[in-house]
Amino acid sequence: MKTTQMLMQFIRFRPGLYAVDAVLVLSGWLLFLVPAYVGNHYFDSLSRGSSVSTEVWWLVALLVMSIVARILLMFANFYVDETFRHSIGSLLRKNLLSHILKLPAGRALLGSSGEAISRFREDIDESAEYLTWHGLLDVVGAAVFAVVSLVLMLLINVKITLVVFLPLILVAATAHMAGKRIDKYRRISRQSVGQVTEYIGEMFGSVQAIQVAHAEERVTKRFRELNDQRGRATVRENVFNSLLSSVFANVVDLGTGAILLLTARSITDGSFTVGEFAAFTYYLTWIAQLTRRFGMLTARYKQLHVSRQRLTTLLQGAADTELVRHGDVYLKGEFPEVPYVEKRDEHRFESLDVTDLTYVFPETKRGVENVNLQLKRGSLTVVTGRVGSGKSTLLRTVLGLLPQQSGEVRWNGEAVDDPGNFFVPPRAAYISQVPRLFSDSLKDNILMGLPEERVELERSVWTAVLDHDLQQLQNGMETMVGPRGVMLSGGQRQRSAAARMFVREPELYVMDDLSSALDVATEQTLWERLIEQRGEVTCLVATHRPSLLARADHIIILQEGRVVAEGTLEELLQTSEEMRRLWDGD
Amino acid sequence: MSFQEYRKMLGQYLLPHRGKVLLLFLVILMGSGLQLVNPQILRFFIDTATSGSGQVNSLINAALLFIGVAILTQGLTVLVTYLGDTLAWTVSNTMRGDLFAHSMRLDLKFHNNHTPGRMIERIDGDVNVLSNFFSQFGVRIVSNFLMLLGMLVFLTYTNWGIGLTFIAFTGVVMFMLGKIRFFATPFWTESRETSAKLFGFLEERLSGVEEVRANGAVAYVMRRLHELNRLRLHKDRRAFLAAGVTWSTTIGMFSLGTALSLALGAMLYANGTLSLGTVYLIYAYVNMLRAPIEQISQQLQDLQKASASIRRTSELLGTKSALVERSGRSIADGALQVDLDNVSFGYSEEERVLHNVTLTLAPGKVLGVLGRTGSGKSTMARLLMRFYDVNEGGVRLNGVDVRDASLSEVRKRVVMVTQDVQLFSGTIRDNLTFFDPAITDERILQAFTELELLEWYQALPEGLDTRLGPSGGGFSAGEGQLLAFARVFLADPALVILDEASSRLDPATEQLLTRTVSKLMENRTGIIIAHRLATLQQVDDILILEDGRIVQHGEREVLAHDPESRFYQLLRQGMEGVLV
Repeated sequence: MKTTQMLMQFIRFRPGLYAVDAVLVLSGWLLFLVPAYVGNHYFDSLSRGSSVSTEVWWLVALLVMSIVARILLMFANFYVDETFRHSIGSLLRKNLLSHILKLPAGRALLGSSGEAISRFREDIDESAEYLTWHGLLDVVGAAVFAVVSLVLMLLINVKITLVVFLPLILVAATAHMAGKRIDKYRRISRQSVGQVTEYIGEMFGSVQAIQVAHAEERVTKRFRELNDQRGRATVRENVFNSLLSSVFANVVDLGTGAILLLTARSITDGSFTVGEFAAFTYYLTWIAQLTRRFGMLTARYKQLHVSRQRLTTLLQGAADTELVRHGDVYLKGEFPEVPYVEKRDEHRFESLDVTDLTYVFPETKRGVENVNLQLKRGSLTVVTGRVGSGKSTLLRTVLGLLPQQSGEVRWNGEAVDDPGNFFVPPRAAYISQVPRLFSDSLKDNILMGLPEERVELERSVWTAVLDHDLQQLQNGMETMVGPRGVMLSGGQRQRSAAARMFVREPELYVMDDLSSALDVATEQTLWERLIEQRGEVTCLVATHRPSLLARADHIIILQEGRVVAEGTLEELLQTSEEMRRLWDGD
Repeated sequence: MSFQEYRKMLGQYLLPHRGKVLLLFLVILMGSGLQLVNPQILRFFIDTATSGSGQVNSLINAALLFIGVAILTQGLTVLVTYLGDTLAWTVSNTMRGDLFAHSMRLDLKFHNNHTPGRMIERIDGDVNVLSNFFSQFGVRIVSNFLMLLGMLVFLTYTNWGIGLTFIAFTGVVMFMLGKIRFFATPFWTESRETSAKLFGFLEERLSGVEEVRANGAVAYVMRRLHELNRLRLHKDRRAFLAAGVTWSTTIGMFSLGTALSLALGAMLYANGTLSLGTVYLIYAYVNMLRAPIEQISQQLQDLQKASASIRRTSELLGTKSALVERSGRSIADGALQVDLDNVSFGYSEEERVLHNVTLTLAPGKVLGVLGRTGSGKSTMARLLMRFYDVNEGGVRLNGVDVRDASLSEVRKRVVMVTQDVQLFSGTIRDNLTFFDPAITDERILQAFTELELLEWYQALPEGLDTRLGPSGGGFSAGEGQLLAFARVFLADPALVILDEASSRLDPATEQLLTRTVSKLMENRTGIIIAHRLATLQQVDDILILEDGRIVQHGEREVLAHDPESRFYQLLRQGMEGVLV
């Protein structure tokens, strides 16, 4: 998709709205012709007679009316223009986010979220703005104005008009040649913006560690360095752009000088009137604005090109037409229902067979290789191993959160093609090693869109052993948990995430080290309640908790991404050196 | 937000650069002066041409002069951009740095309420708006006002009647502008807040994609996005319409001025007071006025946006840490004695997490803390780090109340490792040293050696330059904890607090760390919070907390052999594999 095609898609998304916007902007610009008409006839009328004619009063009244009309137009224009701009911005954000949420979740973003935000903010806002009154439409309006004035000027005096307009062609060529540099400067300055926003996000995400290390000053120093880099890059870009637009403006000032030179003779003999001169200079002042605007627009077009590429990168290789795929953006009317999938027979779990599963991180070359795994309904399977042995990677690859590089996953004997979309509630739910909560109420964090009246919120909270905490929290379920859940303790966060999983009543529970923030008694309670409530549960758990190892029906030991032993605890303690080491810690 | 506050902020940040400001001002002054010259050339041109004396040569000279002035004006424009932008970036970067430094030092209660995405918006988004304010506002307002002034002087000089009329007119316009200037500010504040909300939402969801996917919450997240998109449209549209009120008032008044000048010019020409060239001069000045007044109006809109940002920025700068630094007493060197003196504390006024906790830990001793989740263990640790201040009682290190010592003193002497290790995007070296160039690679390697991490380190593709992904991506939570231990070794504190620091480690690795932990505790005071008894084999004292109260405290050796003690019972249960 070319940048122009992207813009066409924007227009096709809301053609009616854009047409109204365009008509309003054009009308606004055409009103600017009125003062030229007024000036022309005013001076001619003055030089004709020695008393003030009624024509002069009419001209003054006309001027005032044109301004009133312009103000009224402007309010309508703001309304329409903003609506169009936000329709496009909303569409881009919707398409981008929904695409990211379709990618294998563990690899959905290759940079930081802070860096991605600079694309969701600057690049999208800029793309959405390009076509509007703040961008293209204004230039089109100015161009229409210029064409009309050109015709009017030609009617007055052909020779002078041509001499004034010729240099403009030269300038268009200059702008074209400068294009590459605009592009380059833009890229550099944008990149430095991304670095700065990423740095702020990352550092404030680690603020506690920084305060513990008493590193506030050093971290700030580094921030100031990054800022200076960005400052330099941006100043260079702006000065270059200003130089360019100044070339444009200068050509028109030279044009005015040329009129003076050419009319030096004809104005004395009266073949070119003062009124016409006034109209000419008026037109030129505005045409100067056109060229300046046009220069800005060319620069912004290059910038838009960069923005489009930066947005496309987030799609990770998908067709970039995804960005502009048309669909409702819900800026008015009913919001879409959040569908609730009730558990039916088709979701029932019998068995899961994983064969030869491989995923290796491209950056660190670590991961899991050729792992086989079988789960039966009602069993507890534990994956264990040392730090960095690949336990989490295995669970995430099975669930499709990481894209498997080879192997097969079969659910009830049937191959799963798209595990990322298949292993969702009510089939499976997952709790990560460091569960994320969002800055919403506790209830919203647990439900995450489930209809409260159709699920058993209270029982899930009880199963997750969160009932006691809930009584202590001042606002109970409505307590706001703060960004990433920081208002809760580590254990509370983990149990909230557990409640989030339980309330979905999945057939298969996948838990990555659920108990690391729980004390043994709480963990015991949790397991007892889970079994008591759900009866036959199937669990796939990564842990090295002795109590869970003892409870497991089957244990898989990973070492450097490969299965080195499996069986029950009893068997493994006899046969596996690694198991004994993990069990005793020797 | 009053003008004084603007002035204060401008003064504070611009004063150190007054040389550059002055230079910029001079260049603008020259530019404005030149712009005023051209209509005078035109007046001369018209009057000479219509006088019929036919001096073509002097007309051509006037035309050439006009061209020369135009070229010079353009050169000055570029210079103004360069000077203005450099100044704006220097100043706004200082401001960004100050905001960053200030926010970094705020207490955790503040950070608990502000997402990193929102901090991006506050530190970068708001100051971006201000940067425009610094680079454009002052420059344009000043240059446009000077143009205005110059024109008024010329007009008065040409004809005092017209001059006085337009001076009065300008006064009225200024007054009206002053009246409506802040009309749209609250709308812009709302608009920016909504935008911060939207991007905070996106930042959190983008960093929690796994949670969203695996819990089947994609549709829910998309719906929330739609809601925020719509809210942003409504707020922005309202803000633009409100700004339109300001803008249209300016334009409306200005058009009256144009009409006035045409009417007056016609009458004075008719009675022979003015030449046609002079009427043209007035017309030209008035047409020139259009641009500066529109620019002033535009700048005032920006000022409205900026004043919302300025308000939020000065609000942020005015946010005081809840931790007041008093006298900055220094804490004596060496291992610390820790005293908790009747400490009560709660995160909010209503609920207490700790009740009347009194405790002494002798220098060099290691205390093991046990208790169920939520019993107040971590809270106690946070009080020792002075992340929060106690509600009642006092926390003392070597006899000095932490509230009397400077924060930097406390944080230099006390180091804590928590279960959630915060890693950031950057190299391993940066993550360990936090950009401290004084920490050499040798020292880091030494720390790795002590932690028996050399083998792990050697497997890293690029050694200390290996990059971690965002939020420590690419490394397991367990590895993160090992790095956190290395941070402690490098910090060399006098009191080490391990808050369930090894809970994500497997027993084999943890066993390995037990040796290094005891090495770490040599000549230091230590507090180890754990829910696994195995972690507490080497501690001197034991403390058991329940619902924020001490239920047992004593020497480990004594308690371990006292069948009546809670610890003894725990140990027995521990033998059966049920640990707490």
